[in-house]
Amino acid sequence: MEIHAIVRGSCERYCPDAEAKMQVKNSILKKLLNYFEYKNGQKHVPGVLVKEFTRSAADAKVPKAKDMRTELCLNKTVEYLLKDILLDVRKPFHWVYDFIFDRLRMVRREIVIQQFQARQTIKLLEPTIMFLAYSRYRLCTEPIERFDPKICNQHLQECLNMTLCCYKELDDDCSDHKASTLQDVERRCFIESLYQLFNLGTPEALVRGLTLPAKVRENAIFSMTFDICMNYHRGNLYRVLVGLPQLPHILCAVAAYKLQMIRRQLLDIFTHAYNNKQLTVPTAYLLRLTLVEEPQVLTEMCGHYNIAVTADRKAVHFNKTVVNSTVETIKTQREPFIEAKLQRIYLPEVLLLKKLWL
Amino acid sequence: MFGTVNNYLSGVLRSAEDYDGDNLGTFLSLRDVHVQNHNLYIAQPEKLVERMLKSPLDEVVIAHLKVLYYLAQEPPNYMEAYTQQAASCSAVVKLLQQLKDENWCLPLMYRVCLDLRYLAQACEKHCRGFTPGNILEKAADCMMACFRVCAADGRASEEETKRLGMMNLVNQLFKIYFRINKLHLCKPLIRAIENCTFKDSFPLPEQITYKYFVGRRAMFDSNYREAVEYLSYAFTHCPDRFSSNKRLILIYLVPVKMLLGYLPRKSLLERYDLLLFHDLALALKAGNVNQFDEIVRLHELVLIRSGIYLLVEKLKFIVYRNLFKKVFIIRQSHQLDMGDFLSALQFVGVTDVSIDETHCIVANLIYEGKVKGYISHAHNKLVISKQNPFPPLILA
Repeated sequence: MEIHAIVRGSCERYCPDAEAKMQVKNSILKKLLNYFEYKNGQKHVPGVLVKEFTRSAADAKVPKAKDMRTELCLNKTVEYLLKDILLDVRKPFHWVYDFIFDRLRMVRREIVIQQFQARQTIKLLEPTIMFLAYSRYRLCTEPIERFDPKICNQHLQECLNMTLCCYKELDDDCSDHKASTLQDVERRCFIESLYQLFNLGTPEALVRGLTLPAKVRENAIFSMTFDICMNYHRGNLYRVLVGLPQLPHILCAVAAYKLQMIRRQLLDIFTHAYNNKQLTVPTAYLLRLTLVEEPQVLTEMCGHYNIAVTADRKAVHFNKTVVNSTVETIKTQREPFIEAKLQRIYLPEVLLLKKLWL
Repeated sequence: MFGTVNNYLSGVLRSAEDYDGDNLGTFLSLRDVHVQNHNLYIAQPEKLVERMLKSPLDEVVIAHLKVLYYLAQEPPNYMEAYTQQAASCSAVVKLLQQLKDENWCLPLMYRVCLDLRYLAQACEKHCRGFTPGNILEKAADCMMACFRVCAADGRASEEETKRLGMMNLVNQLFKIYFRINKLHLCKPLIRAIENCTFKDSFPLPEQITYKYFVGRRAMFDSNYREAVEYLSYAFTHCPDRFSSNKRLILIYLVPVKMLLGYLPRKSLLERYDLLLFHDLALALKAGNVNQFDEIVRLHELVLIRSGIYLLVEKLKFIVYRNLFKKVFIIRQSHQLDMGDFLSALQFVGVTDVSIDETHCIVANLIYEGKVKGYISHAHNKLVISKQNPFPPLILA
């Protein structure tokens, strides 16, 4: 194995000087700066620039120290993005997302180039995970031109895997005497829970969950989350659906990506169990179980899967011979109970995991 | 008692000239006594070896001697030893490619690959500075190079083809993939073996190992019937004197069979010290949900370590089925009150259960075909089929 000398960044600005100069020059010629990089939204006056994502390419030179940011500066960059830019309401959120997504991606690349230690990596990646998880939910109803959930999922999974590896490294490394603080553990438990929900039902995630150190398994949030995952594995959807609303904000938002699938599975089970030509099942019961608040939404859902609703909309008629089992599952929706949870938090603090507002 | 390097090298040469793969394998084994011969610990054995042996066998031996050298250091340099063993493995690939229409050197390949895996495991254990599983994965790549040469040897006759070495390698690769939790990589290997025209003529020990792993993989894919088929083969063909191996097979075979409705005999479990499954089976039979949970909790660590925790958890709905069947036997009616099921659950100690959940559990049992009937929500009753309301699981 060859060992290259590790380049350590020395730049203390969000965007190294050389690149900033080039960007500004380019912006005069053809390629404009990003909206968020102009001063107070003015035309042609550059404001705060943040280093843009570039791919590693064979012809690119090995970056010099002054072209890369220090660890402290990277942390500040993340903070700037997830506070100042995130709260910027001058543009719709998918603009904000595109900008932050790209700039955080560059942060991730610098972590790799500079070969940061596990602890440093964790500190930078945890907020990225939170941001991607939140955005995935917030933008779930956007059309594909504005937001591609698949790409977002991919990156989220990648960040999670990387972070999880770092946690494991710290677990295994007995020589590391700098014990994790209580807050570190709390953050980790939150991210581990997020991973479990994001990979709900996969054996890999469950096996990981079972073999985590006690300090994580005994954490209240994690054990609540893992209970939900185990119940999903056992096939007890009732407990899954009862458990979900108990989870905190962002975790609920992550669970929302799976909610439509779980609802569909439940309705599928019910079409077999309550299958009868004469009998019906009251809407109130289904609303309660499926975590749907508006009867209208339930009616639409039933319509989508071709499950009949009675004329007065008070009951549902399950018939397994007519149910549409080939239609695609309904897309992830924004759920009122999750919206309410997200309203109560101060987003930058949560995404930066400074305070989890549990 | 140990000879000089030249003694060793002429031994290697003689085995190669006699086409004696087994003997050659011993000369390159890390488990053979010659590894304790201090005369063989040479940092740069190139000149010595090249004088005696032809390429590419010389490369195999050079790398092997370097492995011995690095392992003899204090503390042993596992990382360098591994790198040299990998080089030895690549040289074996060259050797295999050179020897057309002969397969006498397969035992050498087995030995070198086996030691490569052991060294990779040692690196994972003792060294730092790489992501866990990385070295093992690299070792698997080296073995795959051997595997490709073997699998491509289609022209030689059935006795002389290197394809006979495939199963041994596949088993080694399985061991790695199971260890680093990359089961999806097993699929192409299984396909290669299953497409082999003489797949039944591989040596029995290799077949047993192969079926054991394929069975376990099927289990993870929830292909329970297939899993039972393979694991049963492994269990019945594994000789009695390998009781710890038989026990290992049973650890997976028993819970999978339970899932399909077969309960294990106590005497069998007793013989292999697996009475935990007897307790589980009793709770299962009785439909005692709480007791079942209690046993799982008690043996949680053992179950997790042996990788069957998730499987055992899947038995839970069978416990519900058996409990609800008892309700039916007591009531002797085809219209059963849902409240009775709720009471039954509470009776066996499930305190935090509601009528909604009872509905969902019964609904699930109907969906899975474990109960035949339908629920009337308005009457809060389960109407069960007149014929076979609780079909035996074995047929389901």
